[in-house]
Amino acid sequence: MTSSTETRADRFVRKIAELKIPDPAAGRPRLWLRLGVAMMVAGLGLGVTAYLVSHRTTSSLVQGDATTIGLGGVTVSVVGAALFVRYSLTAFLRFWMARQSYDLTLLADRLLSATRDLAGTDPPR
Amino acid sequence: MHAAHEGITVLHGVSLSVAAGQVVALLGPNGAGKTTTLRVAAGAHPLQAGRLLLGGRDVTGANPRDLARAGVCLIPEGRGIFPDLSVRDNLWMMTFTGRTRSQIEEVAFARFPHLARFASRAAGTLSGGEQQMLALARGLATDPAVLLLDELSMGLAPLVVGRLYEQVAQIARQGVAVLIVEQFATAVLRIADHASVLVRGRIAWQGRPDSELRTELSALYLGSST
Repeated sequence: MTSSTETRADRFVRKIAELKIPDPAAGRPRLWLRLGVAMMVAGLGLGVTAYLVSHRTTSSLVQGDATTIGLGGVTVSVVGAALFVRYSLTAFLRFWMARQSYDLTLLADRLLSATRDLAGTDPPR
Repeated sequence: MHAAHEGITVLHGVSLSVAAGQVVALLGPNGAGKTTTLRVAAGAHPLQAGRLLLGGRDVTGANPRDLARAGVCLIPEGRGIFPDLSVRDNLWMMTFTGRTRSQIEEVAFARFPHLARFASRAAGTLSGGEQQMLALARGLATDPAVLLLDELSMGLAPLVVGRLYEQVAQIARQGVAVLIVEQFATAVLRIADHASVLVRGRIAWQGRPDSELRTELSALYLGSST
């Protein structure tokens, strides 16, 4: 509840009191970002390992294992790439979307203004 | 507060407090840890040990965006404006606080009428003083309860700095707690209620800004003993 006599300092104290402070152990974006990079590299490593394993044997069983390792590498890389994109590009994309939204609003304003001009009325200032 | 920068401890138990309506100047030579102190106060730099208290609550580890929404405003060294965007667009960026563009422009242009004349100009084409006005206007547009200013005088003529600090004093009189980091003490001490001198990450002196502080500052900056 807010009252009309509440000063800025009172409002600040109230907002700070309502603040949800996350557990420092939870949500570590940098850690997730690094994990994403590590997983992409690990996926690549698994792919190379699978290639070497399959070419050093004639056993179809071992080659089957190599195929499994290779597919595992692809999965690890894809998950790593998803983590990397999630934690590195979202801030940039958020800003880009805000910019796009602003440009669209400007365009709409200009179109409205031009329409009013054509209709013979003054555009709003 | 204990804090490190790239693995090196830069704050060794710094303790500071700023009350509502008070102007506190944090002075000290380059590399003393002044900017880190401000960043810690804004929640933008993690603490190794110690606590950050705001409004009586321990907010250590709080998200800096949440602190900004609550009313903590950091104006960084270099002003933190977008040089390619117009003055109006720079102000528009502050709508994250939930205020509308017109409300923000009303506050900003009322405090700095000079800026209204350049509303459509790119911020990067303004003079240093005007850019600093814009940075302050952006800060005020968020209706701050705590204002953290880093090197306001950087690259500005003394006359311009004096005018900007007059504005800061007026802002403080409205009940805003102001913490100013400065390397050049003269201008800020005219408006400061309290001053602290930081040397190598430790508070070397604190008290009311008077002649004793000036003697102390000369000793600290020039390296002579008192």
